[in-house]
Amino acid sequence: MPQQIKRLIVAFAFFILLFLVLRQVLKPSSFGDLGHYRADAIQENIDSELHYAGIDNCSKCHEDIHMDKAIGFHANLNCEVCHGPGMKHVLYAGNFTDRQLPDSLLLYKPVGRSDCAVCHQVNAARIKILFDTIDNSMIRQIDAMTHNPVNKRTNEKLNCIDCHNPHQP
Amino acid sequence: MKIDKTKLSRRDFFKAGTIIVGGIAVSSTFIPFDGLLFAIERPKGKGKWYGIGIDINKCIGCGKCAKACKIENNVLDEPFYFRSWVEQYTIKMDGSILVESPNGGIDGFKQSVPDEEIFKSFFVPKMCNHCAKSPCVQVCPVGATFETPEGIVLVDETYCIGCRYCVQACPYGCRYIDPGKGTVDKCTLCIHRLDKGMQPACFEICPTEARIFGDLNDPKSKVNEFLKNHTCMVIKPHLNTDSKLFYNALSSEVR
Repeated sequence: MPQQIKRLIVAFAFFILLFLVLRQVLKPSSFGDLGHYRADAIQENIDSELHYAGIDNCSKCHEDIHMDKAIGFHANLNCEVCHGPGMKHVLYAGNFTDRQLPDSLLLYKPVGRSDCAVCHQVNAARIKILFDTIDNSMIRQIDAMTHNPVNKRTNEKLNCIDCHNPHQP
Repeated sequence: MKIDKTKLSRRDFFKAGTIIVGGIAVSSTFIPFDGLLFAIERPKGKGKWYGIGIDINKCIGCGKCAKACKIENNVLDEPFYFRSWVEQYTIKMDGSILVESPNGGIDGFKQSVPDEEIFKSFFVPKMCNHCAKSPCVQVCPVGATFETPEGIVLVDETYCIGCRYCVQACPYGCRYIDPGKGTVDKCTLCIHRLDKGMQPACFEICPTEARIFGDLNDPKSKVNEFLKNHTCMVIKPHLNTDSKLFYNALSSEVR
């Protein structure tokens, strides 16, 4: 075998060995466990913070409203649909049974007409719901801005919830 | 067989050619050539395989799913990037199609076309299809995006180099580069909620139960019941992405 070839073989062997050693050192330990990716990345995704608590957590303390809601048209609605994410409220509100809750733990109170309009404003794309379903999932549509804007007797501005109970519409 | 390069006869040429071509043909029967190597196979028997159902007939376009997704996953409010959003399709009498999605539908929709001009109109909630044969996973040069054994397409932020190749590859427009992190970001199917036995935020929050979520491997799951009782379709079936997001009442106008 010529001298050049021998040297080349030695050089190749050295670099291949170097590659294998470096790979062993640099490769994350979980890479390749489940596929061509770092398996630990799944756990890192799982470790994200929760914001929405779910209706079961709400009914633990607010049983009365939950029962009210259960017989109305909004029975299938999760509380957080209207009131916003409540995980912080669920976790920490229990510490404030004797005091006023701080603002950061208070949930959103939808009182304005625009809050109801998000679902109930007349829209051509919402009409077909009326025909396709016959149960409580049927949605009532209204032009929220022109529907009884003021109290006719006192001339006060009216919100939707002045006449309709949002928990039992 | 020794080939003399200086004097290659026609016979030698055909001999060598037959050996090379025939050899490849015979050896390919031992290891079948698979041009499409997919990251993950659907688990047979046990093991979860998540699927999503969306009922367009039930969607009222409140945009609560888009809002819940942004809050749950700390997605930036601006610029307008979404992991989950709602589009309003309006097909006019003259046949033209109008697609609107003001702020992803978070602030609600306003009907922009008068009633008499509308042939039909409907809402289409969109999100990552969690394709089994994900184009985005196949193109990632560094292994930063992958499918979990349950079929959820995730991103490894520490590996992503922000090359945007997967953003281009996704036929559903479900990926974006997070300007803060410089890495790609997408729907995780709220894997952090699934792990705690909860539903993903957009499914949890949907007021009309237009979004159905479940395990496709469990014959009694909600999503299988949904698929059984409705005529479902995926978006862009011709792309063979094996999408796991099934729409009921999907119109051909939806892209």
